[in-house]
Parts: sequence; C-alpha cells; structure tokens
Amino acid sequence: MKLSNWRRTSQIVFLLIFILLFLLTRYPYSHGIVTEIGLRFSPLAPLFLFVKDVHLHWILWPGILILLITPFLGRVFCGWMCPLGTLLDLTSKLIKSPNNRKTRSFEKWRSAKFALLVGLLITAFFSVHLWGYFDPLSIFNRALTIVFYPVFTYLTENTLLAVSNISFLGDIPYALYDQYKNIVMPEAQAHYQQLFWIALFIGLILAAEKLSRRFWCRYLCPAGALLGFLSQFRFLERVVRPTCPACGLCHTDCKMGAIPADDFSRNSKVECIQCFACADSCPEKYKSVSYQWQWTPYHTRVDYSRRQFLGTTVASLTALSLIGLHLPDKTHKDQQIRPPGSLAEDDFRDRCIRCMECVRVCASNGACLQPSGIQSAIDDLWLPVAEMRVGYCEYECNLCGQVCPTEAILPLPLKVKQKTPMGLAHFDKNLCIPYARNEECLVCEEHCPTPDKAIKFDVRVYQDPNTGKTRKVKYPYVVKELCIGCGICVTKCPLEGRAGIFVTAEQQRRPKLTNSF
Amino acid sequence: MKRRQFIRSVSAGALGIGFLPLLKHPLFAAQLPRPQAVWVENGEPEELLSRALKEYGGLQRFIKKGDEVVVKPNIGWDRPPELAATTNPQLVGAIVRACFKAGAKKVKVFDRTCNNPRRCYRSSQIEEYAKRAGAKVEQIRRNRFKPLKINGRVIDQWPIYSEYLTADKVINVPIAKHHSLARVTLGLKNLMGVMGDNRGLIHNNFEEKLTDIDGKILPTLTIIDAYRILTANGPVGGNPKDVKLTKTLILSDCTVSADYLALSLFGLTLDDVPHIKRAYEKGLAKYNRKNLIVRKIRLG
Repeated sequence: MKLSNWRRTSQIVFLLIFILLFLLTRYPYSHGIVTEIGLRFSPLAPLFLFVKDVHLHWILWPGILILLITPFLGRVFCGWMCPLGTLLDLTSKLIKSPNNRKTRSFEKWRSAKFALLVGLLITAFFSVHLWGYFDPLSIFNRALTIVFYPVFTYLTENTLLAVSNISFLGDIPYALYDQYKNIVMPEAQAHYQQLFWIALFIGLILAAEKLSRRFWCRYLCPAGALLGFLSQFRFLERVVRPTCPACGLCHTDCKMGAIPADDFSRNSKVECIQCFACADSCPEKYKSVSYQWQWTPYHTRVDYSRRQFLGTTVASLTALSLIGLHLPDKTHKDQQIRPPGSLAEDDFRDRCIRCMECVRVCASNGACLQPSGIQSAIDDLWLPVAEMRVGYCEYECNLCGQVCPTEAILPLPLKVKQKTPMGLAHFDKNLCIPYARNEECLVCEEHCPTPDKAIKFDVRVYQDPNTGKTRKVKYPYVVKELCIGCGICVTKCPLEGRAGIFVTAEQQRRPKLTNSF
Repeated sequence: MKRRQFIRSVSAGALGIGFLPLLKHPLFAAQLPRPQAVWVENGEPEELLSRALKEYGGLQRFIKKGDEVVVKPNIGWDRPPELAATTNPQLVGAIVRACFKAGAKKVKVFDRTCNNPRRCYRSSQIEEYAKRAGAKVEQIRRNRFKPLKINGRVIDQWPIYSEYLTADKVINVPIAKHHSLARVTLGLKNLMGVMGDNRGLIHNNFEEKLTDIDGKILPTLTIIDAYRILTANGPVGGNPKDVKLTKTLILSDCTVSADYLALSLFGLTLDDVPHIKRAYEKGLAKYNRKNLIVRKIRLG
C-alpha cells in the first residue's frame, strides 16, 4: 500500500479512537480504559508543565514520546495522528480550500505560530498558563464535548423520538430510540454555557480552511511550531530524483505549503507533516518523489527572526500586565466552585488545559460542571466550574479526578472525596420557603446525601397574623461541620427562580500535591 | 340395634372430628373472613412474598391473563440495597416472577429517581434483578408525562407518567423509611415516583397535595418492603447503623391500610403522621382502620 494510504488510514483510525475515548468517558467508567490518554499525546503538555514545576511529568509519557520521535521522523504527529488536523483535512475537502498558488499572500504569517508559542512560554515563565486554549488536542476535545456531541444528540434524539411517535410505524422506531439511548447517548441532553464562544472558536478554525489548507496548522498551532522547531534536522527526508520535470504540481497541492515555489526538490522540514501526498501528486510517468532516511540531513531554518522574538516578548509582557492588573473580585472567587479534588486555585489554573474531560464525565452523573465564562480574570475562561442550580456533585461519584489528563484535579478515593468539602451551603432566608413564608418544605434536607445529614431543622410554632391560627413549621439550617458543598440542595430547591439555598467556596478543601507524578 | 346405632353415631362423630382439620383447607377458606391486609415476618423476601400472596388469595385475584402490569418500586437513590434507601431488589424480582406466573403478558418496572437515573437503577440492583425476572426495565422518558385532572382541594391537575396510567394493573412496592417532612415514607409517598413536573412543590402543604394526587392514582396492590427499614436520616440514609433488619412484608389492596399497619415498625401512631391521617379523612382508604382484618404470620 502507498505510504499516503497508510497515513490516511492512520488519520482515520486515530480520529475514531479519539471519538471512542470521548464516548467512553461516562458513567459507570468501569471499562478500565484510561480515556484521557488521548489528551496526553500533546507535545505542549510536557514542555509547559516542565516550565511550571521544573521536572518531567512521566504521566505525560505519550507527549514525551512524540517529542522524542519528532527530531528523527519530523511532524508525523501533525500528519498522522492529530484529530484536529484530520478534522481540518476533512473540512477542507468539504469546503474546497484554495491551492497554494492562490494563498501566497498568507505566507508572511508563518512566523505567527512561533510567536504564539514563544508568547505562551514567556507568560508561562511568569506563572500565567494560557497554552491550554491553543493546544490542538484540548481544542478538539472541547469542541467535541461542548459543540459537536450535544448538537449531534439533540438532532438524533429528537428525530428518533418524533419518528417513534408516528403510530403507524409501530414499535420499531421506539426500539431504535431505546437502543440509541442505551448505547450511544445514555445521559440526558447536555446544555452548556459558553456554547456560543466555543462554537465560534472551533468554527473560525474550521472556516479558515477556506483561506488556505491547514490554515491553523500552518500559521497558528503552537504544538505545530514546537514540533516544527524540533524537526529542523529531520532524518526522514523528501528526496526528489533528477527525473523531476519541475511541473510544480507537488508545490500546488502540498497541504502545508512546505515546498518552496522556487525549488521543488527541497521542502521545509519545519512545515512538512510527512503526509506523502506530494509523492501521489507527482505524475505517473515521472514519479520523482520518495522518502529516504539520510544520516547527514540538511537543515531547514525556522521562519522566526530575532526581531520577531523581541516583538513577541514585548507583546507577552504587555499581555501579562493587562492580565495581572485586573480587578481581583472576592465575590467572584467565592462563587467559583471547583470539582472535588482540584488543586489549590493557582496550581489548578496552571495545570488545567480547559479540555472539558471532567465536564464530559460529569454530564452522566451529577452534571454540575460547566465551562466557566470570564468573571474577573481572562484566564477564568473555560475552567470547569460547578453550577449547582443546573446540577450537583453526586455523592457516590469521583470520576472527574480520574479523567483529568494533567491532574489539575487529583483522583480522590471515594471515601476521601465524600469527606472533602468543595464548598459550604447557606440558606437565603429571603427566598427559602420556611423563612420567607413560614410554610413547610425541606426538599433540601430530604436530598442531603451525608450519612449524618448536613441540613437539620428546628420545629417552631408559627402563628399566622391574619387568621390567628398556629401551625408547627420545620425551619432548616446547615451544619457547617457536616456540609461538603455538593449542591444537591441547590439543584432540588423547588423555587422556580433563584434557589433558597446557595453554595459558596467557604471551607473548601483542596488537596496538596505531595509528590508530583 | 342399639349397638349398631351406637357404632354408627360414634363413627359419624369420629369422621366428623377427623374432617375438622379440613376446615383450614382452601375449600373452606371462603368461610373464614378474607384478610384485608397481610403482615408476614421472619423470612427472606421471596418467602415473605409467596406466603403473603397465598394468604391473600393469590396474585391471580388481581392479575388476569394477558394483563400489562407496572411494578413501581422505590429506585429513587444512588445507594446499594443494604443501606435501605431503595426497594429490596430480590423482592422486586420475586414480584415480577409472580406477575408472570399469574398470567401477566408484560411487566414494566420504572421509577422517576431523585439522583442520576442510571446510577440509581444500577446501584440499587433493581434493574439487574427485574431484568433477570423478565421485566422490561425502562428509564423515565421526559415526553411521556400526561396531565391528569385531579380536581382536588388544592391541586387542579398534575402530570403523571402515561405508562403508569395505561397499565392494566399496578403494584406499588415502597420501602419503609424515616422521612423528616413526611415522618415516614411508605406506599402513599412512593407514588410520587410517577409524578412529573416540579415535585418539590408538593412538599409545600404536603398532606393536602399528596392526598389530592394520590386519590386519583391509587394502585391495584401495595406491597411494603420492610425487609430492611431505614429508621433515621431518611429517605437517603447512608449510615448502616440507621438500617434495621426487620424481615417483614406488608401487603394490601388498600394503600392507606398498608401504610397504617407499617407505622408500628417505627413505633408511630396515626397522629404522628399527618399525611396518612389526611388520607383517611379524604376517603382514600378502602377499609376501616378500626376493624381492619389483618392476617399476621411469623414464618419459621
């Protein structure tokens, strides 16, 4: 089989693996598969976490593996593995990207991805970690979790339901719907905040294919920049035999525009992603392109100058100042409830790559985790935050810590998690029915999952001032020592608008990283 | 002649006495007052059930051949069976089998849970046992609630799960538990598992609202699972110390009567539990509690 067919197969296989791993990230999570391993293949993770902790994190061995093979084989990750790259290839086929002769004007933006990588490294050096927003694997998983899968399930479930309601079709459509719910979509339809912005983000990346093929990979991807930088002396070289008639077909068709217009026998090792499509586009009667291992490889320069580096540094320091000078808001901080097992806020923000694995697995359990919006700091964006009015933290669940690829959320054993407060509940006595109306309720107390209930109540006699009649009313209160801030009281409060009870970050306990993996 | 007469009368008398034990025979059972409720204790769930059904005249008294039966256990919480938050799964399985044996064509098992539904169905093991017994175990589908006209004191209408309403027969299988607001949760409270909409609102003026709705959706049969009961921190529980192994089962075709009998498990009187008292006041009970005919059996 042709090398490019091996590559196409590899791309499809890895895309399907990523999607399968995504689907398996759900309750009961008893298959024994480490579904977040896909995200650990990112070459950026070992680098940035090294900058943070000054040691190698062996749990990220897939990413380290990619970094090790790239100096020899080149950007095979980009061409053979990356699901975002595969998605872009499929998109460009669909929307018919222009070929390289039409996209010459974009070539000056090649350095942008190096500038972005360097900018992210500089800010990371100053303890601001924004690289997760631009990590291609995180982008793919985020788009899958928040945009693609919910849209797919919304359309599919409702179509199947509508069809099964057509009575003359009998029982078969409902059986189909049942099987679909059991195998593909066991959880309820997911609704996420920040849907618009995350959809816009991935939408722009995909739409950019209309400007040129693999626009993101060529001009923006910091992982591509890092791998490109490592590929400068790649041993697996593209070799062009003298039979080449210099027709320029390979230059026109190259996905990455890596073959220069003035010399079709060379290609940029920094840009080439080893897709072998050039060997295919070389016409049958010449077949001049092949790939060979060369022990004395030639060097390709990285398209990033010293002046550009200086510009990046200035821009990064400016960005750092803008981020650092934001108004710290205690109210917002108090409302940001993180998943149980999350590291202390600074470490948590540094490690979290905003990949949405925890949000995804929570959807089939308590369904409280949501991508956060910007509240007071830019890097609030898309961190997992618990919205207790929407869902709560299931008492018997500890899956979020198990699926976090960078251990921003530590996997807590269930018994430990059940004793680790993520916050504290407080009654809003202006709204809570017993306090506001002197009538009975206690839905919150009913649902409180701690074996010794963290909501207790006083029984007091209330006299109605209008009728003079007395009645006994149970007035609930939170027992601070027992409450773990799971939020089921907030979710189940029967008030139609705001709940009569809310959870703050008070008394949350965050585990300390004793030994880094 | 006197001797023959004597022998005849003595033989007749002996025969008559010999037939006395037959009075207990089912043929003569019609002469004994049929129990309105049965209380069986000191056995495993399957034994308790089969004895209770036997004493009550068998499940075929209620289930005709070809019936579609809904068995409504308490699957409400993400807890294992030993913590007595959900109905005993072996009992549910035994009831499903008994339904098929009585001639049911289809048996459905479902409940609108409080915790995540897939977690509850799995942790309680009810899905496993019910499926094994041949029941169709379904998750609640949001679009299958139909508004039911209640015309009660305070409730005008309320959405009820359509599969419950369209079933031929319904068997309500609660687990007996402590409950802070309701004091105890038994058969009447268990029916909340087929109610749609914002159920939490029913807590506000609970006795009135619950009895309003229950009055329109009373089941064919209520079987109270008191194999294990939750004596404190209900209805969720979580502390094994709050679980009492009472190995009991209460059966009646009158839900209110079954609930009334179950009060003794908790040492409560009717005045302690307003919602059951209100149920009597509103006429939801089939039988008078003053002269309720209860057959009480202790196995083994």
